[in-house]
Amino acid sequence: MTVWHLEPEAIRRYAQGAAPPDLAASAEAHLMKCATCRDAIASHVDTRRVEAIWHEVVDRVDTPRPSWPERVLARLGVGEATARLIAATPTLRGPWLLGVAGVLALSVWAAQVDERFLRMFLVAAPLGPLAGVAVAFAGGLDPTREIGLATPYSGLRLLLIRTAAVLAVTVPIVTAAGLALPGSHRLAAAWLLPTAGLTCVALALTARMTPVVAVGIVATAWVLVTAPTAMAGHLDLALGVGAQIFWLAVAVGGGLWLAVTRNTITIKLGSSA
Amino acid sequence: MTVRVQSATRSFGRTTALDSVDLDAGEGVTGLLGPNGAGKTTLLRIIATVLAPDRGTVTLLGRDPSRPGDRTWIRERLGYLPQEAGFHRGFTVFEFIDYVAILKQMTDRRARHDEVRRVIELTGLASVSAKRIRALSGGMSRRVGLAQALLGEPDLLLLDEPTVGLDPEQRLRFREMISHAGEGRTVVMSSHQTEDIAALCTRIAVFHQGRVRFTGTPNELTAQAAGRVWADTRRSPAALAAWRTGDGTFRNVGDPPAGAELIAPSLEDAYLLLMGEPDLEVTHS
Repeated sequence: MTVWHLEPEAIRRYAQGAAPPDLAASAEAHLMKCATCRDAIASHVDTRRVEAIWHEVVDRVDTPRPSWPERVLARLGVGEATARLIAATPTLRGPWLLGVAGVLALSVWAAQVDERFLRMFLVAAPLGPLAGVAVAFAGGLDPTREIGLATPYSGLRLLLIRTAAVLAVTVPIVTAAGLALPGSHRLAAAWLLPTAGLTCVALALTARMTPVVAVGIVATAWVLVTAPTAMAGHLDLALGVGAQIFWLAVAVGGGLWLAVTRNTITIKLGSSA
Repeated sequence: MTVRVQSATRSFGRTTALDSVDLDAGEGVTGLLGPNGAGKTTLLRIIATVLAPDRGTVTLLGRDPSRPGDRTWIRERLGYLPQEAGFHRGFTVFEFIDYVAILKQMTDRRARHDEVRRVIELTGLASVSAKRIRALSGGMSRRVGLAQALLGEPDLLLLDEPTVGLDPEQRLRFREMISHAGEGRTVVMSSHQTEDIAALCTRIAVFHQGRVRFTGTPNELTAQAAGRVWADTRRSPAALAAWRTGDGTFRNVGDPPAGAELIAPSLEDAYLLLMGEPDLEVTHS
């Protein structure tokens, strides 16, 4: 049976969270057994602080553990809300990524057989990430599109988050496929700047049309301009030094434009009002 | 009025889904009744700011949704359950509702989680909060849809066919939840189930082929069928619709023959009559 009680000063310090660890441990053990001291400490306790702590405990216990992709993103420094938005991106699901990897593997195999396929691969490489951006907003593949359209979340922010996530996943896949190609490794990386530039142009067009239509227009224009010369054996128009400088300028210009207009432009993620 | 739609018209290609529709909705539950393809979903999508009308004006909570700033303001006060609400089926119930809460700009993590827990409790989903949505029954999935719509205690709640595909007990539970949600706020719900409309709505608009055929209270619609429903031992050739009831007699709806045994009409009788008379349009203030 407990026959001693905590000193008033010890009670005050413990209640304020100012007690050293040894005193805190001793006080805690005593309070578990002594109703008199629990009554005595009640008047010293900051109820708002207790509520906040209890709230935090409930939240920790009651909130389901995030999925592993979200935990990985959190470790990389991505905020928990952004991680959840990325986890919901349709393009980042296994079947779609396996499809991209499969098509690229087939392309690499074909390029080993015939040089024309190598040139076609280089023209088609930027289309993979671009298609990923389009698919991330395609009505049929985003099951919550209708719900999302009726929410106040910034269309541009969602577009940029999903685009960055899609590029972060698809660019390494396409790069890996490019490194497996015969010939210069410079060519395997030469499509990166056109991809960045084309993505920026597509993003800019989303102020006027949906991402799917924007990507469709940009991708069609890219193929129409570059495919005929590439098939004839000339890759300069698509991947030469001049083209690289051009696409670098487009990417930087597009990035600056998005940064400047981020608060004023309205992105058309659907046929909204 | 929380919702004021004036002369709204919307076409998809050559199909006119909505033809010069007017609708006012204030506090309480307003029902949009009509067969599939009558224009209910198109109107709800317009009110949800997901779709813009080709012509006409829409005012929601006193603001104009065609202005970007007003539209965002409206969306902050809007809850929407689409007809075919999709889910990220790999998410748990909690994760999915939390995902929508993020889209609803609830930035403080702890306050957001509190709100997610509140709507989960409100819709009776607490026991399946950690389950993946793909493992839920149709009725439970529909509750998840309702829960996300209730996030943030919206001033305007839009429910498109909320009870479709539910068994009778689940429908009753849903009616309770919608009735509760309609206290102190504006709810607009669509249905082709007259029982749901009769049980929940203070005002109704009946749609047919993109036009509003009736607006008024459920009692006013039911009164349209007074003197036009009769019981008989056989199916009457004069009836627009007739069916055998549990006691073996036929319930006939239409223009009764002389000396017919008239019986009290129901909302369903009035709805059937309205659908069977293509030129009739009735508006009650």
